[in-house]
Order: sequence, then structure tokens, then C-alpha cells
Amino acid sequence: MHSDRIGAGSGISIRGVSKWFGEHQVLREVSTEVKPGEAVVVIGPSGSGKTTLLRCVNLLEEFQQGEIEIDGEAMGYVSGPDGSRRRRPNQDVARMRTQVGMVFQSFNLFPHMSALRNVALGPVKALGVPRAEAEAMALSLLERVGLRDKADALPGRLSGGQQQRVAIARALAMRPKAMLFDEVTSALDPELVGEVLDVMRQLVDEGMTMLIVTHEMGFARAFAHRVLFMANGEIIEQGAPARLFEQPQTPRLQTFLARFRQGHQL
Amino acid sequence: MELLWVSLPLLGRGTLVTLMLASASVILATAIGVAGALIQLFAPAVLRWLIELYLYLVRGVPLLVLLFAMYYALPYAGIMVEPEVGGIVVIGAYFGAFMTEVFRAAVLAIPTSQWEAGRVIGLGTTRIMLDIIAPQALRIAGPPFINTCIMVVKGTSLVAIIGLADITYVGRQIVERTLAPFIIFGAVAFVYFVICYLLSRIGRRLEERLDHAQ
Repeated sequence: MHSDRIGAGSGISIRGVSKWFGEHQVLREVSTEVKPGEAVVVIGPSGSGKTTLLRCVNLLEEFQQGEIEIDGEAMGYVSGPDGSRRRRPNQDVARMRTQVGMVFQSFNLFPHMSALRNVALGPVKALGVPRAEAEAMALSLLERVGLRDKADALPGRLSGGQQQRVAIARALAMRPKAMLFDEVTSALDPELVGEVLDVMRQLVDEGMTMLIVTHEMGFARAFAHRVLFMANGEIIEQGAPARLFEQPQTPRLQTFLARFRQGHQL
Repeated sequence: MELLWVSLPLLGRGTLVTLMLASASVILATAIGVAGALIQLFAPAVLRWLIELYLYLVRGVPLLVLLFAMYYALPYAGIMVEPEVGGIVVIGAYFGAFMTEVFRAAVLAIPTSQWEAGRVIGLGTTRIMLDIIAPQALRIAGPPFINTCIMVVKGTSLVAIIGLADITYVGRQIVERTLAPFIIFGAVAFVYFVICYLLSRIGRRLEERLDHAQ
């Protein structure tokens, strides 16, 4: 394999996170640990707060209560011994973000840059890796996601599935300790979903720490180590995928799965 | 026809003055526009309000009135300004307000998801602005920017009234002596047309080039 093989990740710790949009509380004291090398899938109806939770992990959303740690270091907020809470300086937040890869539903590639430059930008500008080195690494990452031959293509020339794979490569280029996936296949044509899930499966196998929000129940069931079910800003139920899907304990999850099965074959 | 031939050197000099005024004004307006847009987007509220005030003032008063104010009113306040400098400053400041809107709108047209994509790879605001937002925003700003440049070129014709020997001024002087308005003003109009047409063409070319890159 390549020298830049993705190493085992490290953990994400979420403790008592609450968030309000104005009066409306979207997260209610959410707590969970994603252990190093663990792939955790978050499912739940829309509006349940799963995407918001994910965005809190790398502070794309501020949260008003609780703590999130990446590999033992506070992300965003630190609490003093007297219980006071203060936001870390932007520079620290930026540095912490380099350790957490994020992939978005709508890819969000930089449309004016080639696939290669998209992938190399972070290492060069945020980590100070020499350009030649960063581009060599970017090229091997594009190869990993099966897009070496598209290195010079602008995103507009790529299919949705290809763009999303470039986006994953872009996140991996930072050599993150953990990866966040926010409904990364939801914007894709059905026949393009598989190629993206393949890449994610590979990452699970390699022991990347992953927090994944998805509606791909098939993927959750086959590859997640643990599944969280969220509704109304709370984690209602969690457990191994087989248990959760076969024997849902709460009425809320039973309803959710029943509704889901009506629309899909599981 | 011979009249036109004889007038050419004068008209040529007027054209040069117009071009000089227009380029200087475009440069000033662009500088003000970029600065104004950045202040509106990122600066603390007090500065934003100041820019807002400037935008409302400038947009609410005709350019000609501003030129008069500079040329006739300032001397009463004991401030003497060279008409060339004053003309450029007034035109530049006037169109700077429009340029501010051009650049501000272009930056706002870039979806916030592009900012987020930059944030999650650990980039700060300045870096995101330089590497991710600006290149895309300038693309969007291109057509309205060229449009504003064309307005600047035509706007410079007003300086004839404060005695600057631009092409309009020269044309009027020749007409006053020769009483041949049709041919001379035709030539003057033609000069403006050519300058603006060239600008439009450049704008179109730019657009095509950038479109291709999408």
C-alpha cells in the first residue's frame, strides 16, 4: 500500500451537548463516545438534530452547553474549574478542525480548482506541506478513490459520485483523526451511491473513526459498529445495528423503521 | 469632411483626456469598491454604517451636482482643487459606490457552503477569502464591473462643464467656432461608442473564458 495509508483514528467524545436556535432547542444533552476506529451511524427523521450534532463536532455550529473532545482535546469550548465556559480562540478552532475531516451532502468542492488542487489545498495552506509533496499525496488519494485520471478535471466536469469521492479525498488529505459524513449520498443519483459507499466501507475497514449521518440503512446495518437513533434532538436508542434494526426497543424507533420499510426494502 | 480632418488633432487630444480621466476614475472607483465591499462584509458595525451612509449619499445625488459642488462650492470653503484631480476624485467616489455594490453582491453570491468547506480544512477567513471566495466572486463581478466601467466612461463627459478639455468639451468648442454640430458631435459620439464597445467586447470575452472554466 501507500506510505500515506490512513492510520487508525482516535475518538470523539460528546458530553451533554445542548443547542438552541433562538427559543427552539435542537439538541438536548446529547452524549456519546465514538471510540478510536469505531464507525457510528446516526439515523433519525429529518429535524431530529443529527446533522446539527455532526456540525457541532467541528464547530460549524456553536453549541451552548456541553463539551466535545477530539482525541482528548476540547473542540471549541473549554470549561473552567468554576464551571465557566469559554470559546477557544479561532486559531485553535482552525487547528482542531484540521484533525477532523468533513464530507457534505452537496460535496462543496471548490469549483474553480481541479480535483487535484481541491485535495491539495488544505495540506498546503492549512498545514504548510510543500506543494509538490501535497500534490503527490493528493494524487495517491485520488487513486485510492479511483479518480487518478480525473486529477486535472474541474468539479463541474465530474459526476456527483465522482465529486463526492474527490470531497472524501480532500478530507483525507488532512490526515484527520476522525471523519464526519453528513448525508453524503443523499444528493446522488441512486446508481452513483454505491461508488461512494464503497470508499466509506474501505475507510471503516482501515479503522478510521467515523461519525456518519445517513439514510442508507443498508450501509448502516452492514458496516456500522454502532447505530444511534435520534429524534427531537435526543438520542432515543443506540446499539449494534443488528439488534437495533431487528429488535427496536422504543416505539419511536419502531415507527421510524416501519415507515422506512414502507418506502424501501431493507 | 475636411472640417473633420482638420479637427482630428484636437479631437485626438480630447480623446486622450477622456481616456486618462476614465482610466484614473475606474482605478479609483475599483479601489473604493473593493475596500467598501470588504468593510461592508467584514468590518465592525460603525465602519459598516459609515460606508452605508456614503452609499446612500452618493446614490441619491446626481454626478453633475457633485461635480458642481466640488468645483463651485469647495472654493468658498477655502479648498482649492485642481479640476483634473477634483474630477477624478468625484467621478471615482461616485462610481466607487456602485463598485462597492458590485463586489459586495459578488461575494454574497458565493454560497456559505464554500466558506464551510474552507473552514473544515482548517483555513481562516483571510485564506478562504483569497483562495476560495475571491476567485469565484471576481468571476461573478466581471459583467457588472464592465458595465460600471462603461458608465464611468460616459460619466466623464460631465467634466466638460467644469472646464476640463475632454472629448465632449473639445467637440463643443469646435462646434461653437464652426457651426457644424452634426459632424463633430457625430465624431464625439463615435469615440464614446468605440471605447464602450471595446469594453463590452472585453467583458464578453472575459465571460466566455470564465464560463468555459466552470
